[in-house]
Amino acid sequence: MKVNLQIPKGEQFRSFYMFFIIASMQLGVGLIGIPRILYLKAGHDAWISILLAYLYIALLLFVMLYILRQYENTDILGVQTDLFGSFISKVLGTVYIVYFIFYILSTLVTYIQIIKVFVLPNSNVLVLGGMLLIIAVYTVFGGLKAVIGITFLFFIVSTWLFLLLIEPVQQMDFLNFLPVMDRGVTDILRGTVATSYTFTGFEILFFIYPFVANKEKIGKPVFLGISYFTCVVLLATNIAIGFLSPAQLERRIWPVLNLFKIQTSPIIERLDYVAIAEWMMVAMPKVIILMWCITYIAKRIYNLPSKISVYASASIILILIPFFNEHFKIQHLIDNVSMVSYGIVYIYPFLLLPLVILKKKIRKNKEGK
Amino acid sequence: MRPVKKQANQVDFPLSIDGLKNKLETEILNSQDLSFTVYKQENKQIAVFYIPYLVDLAKIEQQVLSKLLDVQIDWTMDSILSEIPLSSGEAFYDVKTIIDKLINGYIGLYGEYENAIIMYEIGKAEKRQLEKAETESMVIGPQIAFTESLTSNMNVINWRMNTPDLAMEKVEVGKRNPKETRIIYLKSVANETDVNTMRQRLTDLDVDMIEDIQMLKQFILDSSTSVFPQFVASELVDRSMYAIKQGKIIVLVEDSPSAFIAPSTLFSFFESTEDRYFHWGLSTFVRFLRFLAAFVTLLLTPMYVVATTYHYELIPSQLLVSLGESRAIVPFPPLIEVLLIELVIELLREAGARLPTKVGQTIGIVGGVVVGTAAVQAGITSNILIILVTMSALASYATPSYVMGNTIRFVRFPLFILAGFYGIIGLMFGICLLVIHLVRLESLGRPYLSPLYPLRLADFNKAFFRLPKQMQNERFLSYRLKDKQLFNKEEATERRDIDE
Repeated sequence: MKVNLQIPKGEQFRSFYMFFIIASMQLGVGLIGIPRILYLKAGHDAWISILLAYLYIALLLFVMLYILRQYENTDILGVQTDLFGSFISKVLGTVYIVYFIFYILSTLVTYIQIIKVFVLPNSNVLVLGGMLLIIAVYTVFGGLKAVIGITFLFFIVSTWLFLLLIEPVQQMDFLNFLPVMDRGVTDILRGTVATSYTFTGFEILFFIYPFVANKEKIGKPVFLGISYFTCVVLLATNIAIGFLSPAQLERRIWPVLNLFKIQTSPIIERLDYVAIAEWMMVAMPKVIILMWCITYIAKRIYNLPSKISVYASASIILILIPFFNEHFKIQHLIDNVSMVSYGIVYIYPFLLLPLVILKKKIRKNKEGK
Repeated sequence: MRPVKKQANQVDFPLSIDGLKNKLETEILNSQDLSFTVYKQENKQIAVFYIPYLVDLAKIEQQVLSKLLDVQIDWTMDSILSEIPLSSGEAFYDVKTIIDKLINGYIGLYGEYENAIIMYEIGKAEKRQLEKAETESMVIGPQIAFTESLTSNMNVINWRMNTPDLAMEKVEVGKRNPKETRIIYLKSVANETDVNTMRQRLTDLDVDMIEDIQMLKQFILDSSTSVFPQFVASELVDRSMYAIKQGKIIVLVEDSPSAFIAPSTLFSFFESTEDRYFHWGLSTFVRFLRFLAAFVTLLLTPMYVVATTYHYELIPSQLLVSLGESRAIVPFPPLIEVLLIELVIELLREAGARLPTKVGQTIGIVGGVVVGTAAVQAGITSNILIILVTMSALASYATPSYVMGNTIRFVRFPLFILAGFYGIIGLMFGICLLVIHLVRLESLGRPYLSPLYPLRLADFNKAFFRLPKQMQNERFLSYRLKDKQLFNKEEATERRDIDE
């Protein structure tokens, strides 16, 4: 496995699109439930937890970019090959594939659960899952260009959902936020930890980095991407805390959908139905990018044609979907995925950093001699 | 491949007049049409032959026969070639070529026992005059349309864009019946890669023959599985001129009264050249109206299916009452109801398009009355659905491109069915697939959705709305043209001296 990659010009894309990739990877179904989870942990000081998470992720991204910049043009697989050799790198790549498959699965089953609870109670899980996977497979077959195009377009098209928050904002009670720092530091930190599942997604940077055409400008869109998402989470959480009473918020699993329900329009009464359908455009880019990423890793470490890896991963996910048909099972899955993400996403780059620096020093010494 | 017998057709001139006549009559398929006249002078004989309906008889009389029968002329090859006042005279030596020329409107002269046959082009093609455009109508602006004659089409284009920069490349397309095809573009502006791609696709084409430009379009498009048209075809000269000026390529084919423009984007199908003749505010409004119309066509009736089948909650309560009242007596599920009425509308459209104008109007009225009133009274559909279906049919005709309007109407059918089976989620699934399809589509290797994706904000002013003229100083940047600027913005907006 080669460390550095030669990407043909036709497959590269401008760093401008990194903003949409990072933001779309973080947006997803996690956002719908995050206000309640945060409120349970950190109370009405949840916004402090979010800001702390943001700072941690900003640091993490800085480290990730630093690691990638030590090489000419590589991804995490290349870095691992350089550090640990080909075999361990293959094992770690496989871990990524498995993690991504379960990540996709958790996103899909949560979205299907929402559809079943709010919109179509009698629908078949397999058909819904199949439909969502068809979208992903069809896009991935279009190549990275189509994947980024869909990410970009779906992001733009779904921004109108913010309009649905106007009515709840007007009815917010600001006394709900007082007193500040009511809970202790431990609770706030616990809240920060609880955001992990919602905030993951930026690890895509490790894989998509070699495809960026103007790498020197990549920093800005990446940081704007996570800042955008942090703003969205802050907005959603604070509106939920301000609008809903504590007792309501504790009992509602998807508070953001409850917020959407408030807004009405003269032509369409229940806009939350439309919002849930529109959420397909919010959640799917994540699935599509991860699916592309699976095919990319499979091609890189096993030399597997993308057709096989797409069909294989899609059918594995489709087979697994019916097993997660109840809320506690889905919650269990999400908990496990976020457990793994602590290691893979939040800690692993910090472990890599000293190794990369060490390796660089060794190489320099060799060259010096 | 059949072995071609080359020697069989080789004739050893000189021949006698009768020998030539026999030879021609056996070789030509429609020999009864051949006019073969023999003139005598002293001891010499000369044969004049042609196919009467292919040539200009008056011209033959004036230019050839009157000179030929003039006593001063010697009936030898050289003197005929120098004396007859036509420039296209040429000597031919083999019968195969001669027959080829005869059916292309040539006239042949043969003096007995000469070595070759002299032929002149005096062809007369039946062609119509330049006329007003029929299928694409405009209220203001030049309305002249292309005709079936490539020469007159090229003539029109050259007169309207009199610059040495205008390239008109010639490519022959078709194996059995090669047709002259022209690739027309501005040499110093058009993207060279695009021109090369187009030339490559045309020369690589392996087809028997093409009848019309619409057929050629189907052969060279990027994705043949897509229902979306990938090249704008237009019969308006004006539209083609605008495209050339913007740095695009147009293709003309002999015998076809329209041109197609490449590369095209999805949004160029919603453009009309008329937009340029209006005030920018007005044309922006009209442009938005067209996009809105496309959305209405696409989504209105599927939304009806969604709301009436699964999610009554979507409809505000007052509207729900009247909808419920009119739906109450309808015996079908909404999906069947909608499919029924939509098919009737499509039938009306198709029948109206195939019939002569006067009968077509009658069909329209009959259809309107029957569908509009009787179907509701009979309780087959709800009257709200009639309103929605009519609205979406009307909206689909707001698209300036007839082909694109048809495509949008066609795409709706899968959307109904998905909406009927899976409600708003099914509808959303359909829309997602549609968007993905459009993102993956290309036209001459250029993204179909540009300038939306890849994003280029500077081009929005051409694709989605129009800005005042002084801000439209640049060509369509997404196509990476050689010359990007139309005029200098600073100079155009500079304040003039009062004395100037």
